[in-house]
Amino acid sequence: MLKMHKVRKSFRTDTIETHALRDFNLEVKEGEFIAVTGPSGSGKTTFLNIAGLLEAHSGGQYLLDGDDVSGLNDRQRSRLRNEKIGFIFQGFNLIPDLNLFDNIDVPLRYRGFKASERRRRIDKVLQQVGLAARAKYLPSQLSGGQQQRIAIARALAGEPRFLLADEPTGNLDSLMARQVMELLELVNDWGTTIVMVTHDPDLARRAERNIQIVDGQVADLEYHANPAALSA
Amino acid sequence: MLELRPILSALWQSKTAALLIALQLMLTLTIVSNAALFIHNRQEKIARPTGMAEKDILAVNFSALAKNYEMPAAVDADLALIRSIPSVIEATHSHKIPLSGSGESLSLFLEPNANKGGFSASYFYVGAGVTEALGMELIAGRDFKATDVQVGDHTSRNTLNAVIVTQQFARQLYPDAHAVGKYLYTGNNNQPIKIIGIVARNLGPHLHQAMAGNTVFFPQLMVVDGSASMTYLVRSEPGQLQEVFNQLEGKLRVRDPQRIISLRTLEAYKKRSYRADNTTIEVLATVITLLATIIALGILGLTSFWVSQRRKQIGVRRALGASRRAIARYFLIENLMVAGTGIALGLAAAQLANKVLVMYFNQPALPLPLLLGCALILLVISLGAALSPALRAANISPALATRSV
Ligand SMILES: Nc1ncnc2c1ncn2[C@@H]1O[C@H](COP(=O)(O)OP(=O)(O)O)[C@@H](O)[C@H]1O
Ligand SMILES: [Mg+2]
Repeated sequence: MLKMHKVRKSFRTDTIETHALRDFNLEVKEGEFIAVTGPSGSGKTTFLNIAGLLEAHSGGQYLLDGDDVSGLNDRQRSRLRNEKIGFIFQGFNLIPDLNLFDNIDVPLRYRGFKASERRRRIDKVLQQVGLAARAKYLPSQLSGGQQQRIAIARALAGEPRFLLADEPTGNLDSLMARQVMELLELVNDWGTTIVMVTHDPDLARRAERNIQIVDGQVADLEYHANPAALSA
Repeated sequence: MLELRPILSALWQSKTAALLIALQLMLTLTIVSNAALFIHNRQEKIARPTGMAEKDILAVNFSALAKNYEMPAAVDADLALIRSIPSVIEATHSHKIPLSGSGESLSLFLEPNANKGGFSASYFYVGAGVTEALGMELIAGRDFKATDVQVGDHTSRNTLNAVIVTQQFARQLYPDAHAVGKYLYTGNNNQPIKIIGIVARNLGPHLHQAMAGNTVFFPQLMVVDGSASMTYLVRSEPGQLQEVFNQLEGKLRVRDPQRIISLRTLEAYKKRSYRADNTTIEVLATVITLLATIIALGILGLTSFWVSQRRKQIGVRRALGASRRAIARYFLIENLMVAGTGIALGLAAAQLANKVLVMYFNQPALPLPLLLGCALILLVISLGAALSPALRAANISPALATRSV
């Protein structure tokens, strides 16, 4: 699904050059649920941004579904983001001016779906996240957990094969965090590949595979073939 | 794929600012279109043909210093001298200068001894060859000959016996008949004055009056007791006016050094007469430019504000699959909605304002193409003003979605 080989990313300001990723190697297989941990500033978000085509890498090779993405133009990258990738952010990032229905509608419009198809998909994901009754609410009228569920619904509506989440529970209390995590597990069960950055070791442990990023590199790989077995 | 409804609902969240810009556009269109109409009308007025070849005509004025100046002899000698200059087509004398703003008018009647139901016209006392000298188009009858011209003053009306009139005036006198050969009378007078020629057009001395174009010419050398000044109207070959100008002054001075001579082109008199109109045009054009600049800055400011306010959601939209183009389009469509609303309101308001101007200030009606033209230009300005913030928005990185909280 995703393969990074010696990927580098550096940020250059006037005076300093930061190497956010250095010789970053990782392969993610279809259907995996990976939790990414690591100290603050280690490059986790940078990795997600490159994986999700939000930023271009400065060196190395990144294959998405076997295709090298480095030569793509803005329109092609936008299209790939729109069709293959779903994003979930720490700050939910719902558009405050739009009601929940219209928020979920945003990526679907960029996709170019007809109104009837968009409505079908929106109704479906609203059901899945249990907020069908609130379609006309504004984001500000929801709790944080509900907002994040809507954000997940928005990410799922395009039926992406790849879901990227950057500390999706970082702004939630533990109860809401668990609900969101359960929803993500469900989504993964349906077949969506998930890479989730988290600070919460309990949540990380529930993923089937953990990687740790330290200083812009994958530090060690720890496999959990069966999370249930681990807690036993 | 247009996203009109969501743009509209997002816009609704900042409706006050949007409404203010829309109202400002409405006012701008109202003022700009009516000001443009003013300008258009003034320009049309200035562009009216005068009926004369003013670009090739020189008005030569002199005042003699000597007492008991022998005017008829001096005029004969001067005109002979002027006509001898090679580039001069024709020259004549006149008691007033066309287009100068200084002139006289009288009432003319179809019946003798009348004092009611007259026709108002500006008049000139001129010499032989006036039609040629002013470059007027003679459409019927003939020009004045030397033998037509009498020497006289303002009291000599009862010996006048010939007149050349403009076609505009002739049509008022005789709407259905040919005017040449018919007679006119000055008020309370039984001296018949025969219409011997009709010229296509002559705006006369006063350009700002409704009667401009009702002009008549009497064949008379105006000699006023105690005054020794005279005007010649000299027409040169096209483009040769400067040459004539250069020769004329010297030659006249040599012939009689005891005179103060001034030369000016008829074109210069015309310019001076239209100065107020030109000033009005300039002032209104400045107002239009100012209003257009203000609205452009307003839109630029508001759109920039909206873009900076929505940086985060732009990043999010980009992350969700919006291309740069889609982001730019979003802001342009949003702008189009605001501008479209303001301009639509402005179309109605401008016509309303014009109705008031028509009713109470005797202004002409606003033609629809002019109004639509102004609306289109304002729309283009609005879009142009939104373009740079929209492009800036398009350049916001999708990484902003994850980078800032
Ligand atoms: N746009 C940027 N410009 C400069 N430096 C950046 C930028 N984004 C991230 N960095 C730097 O890159 C490093 C990795 O950042 P990040 O990937 O956000 O870490 P994490 O998500 O693990 O906390 C940090 O040192 C950070 O300061
Ligand atoms: Mg981070």
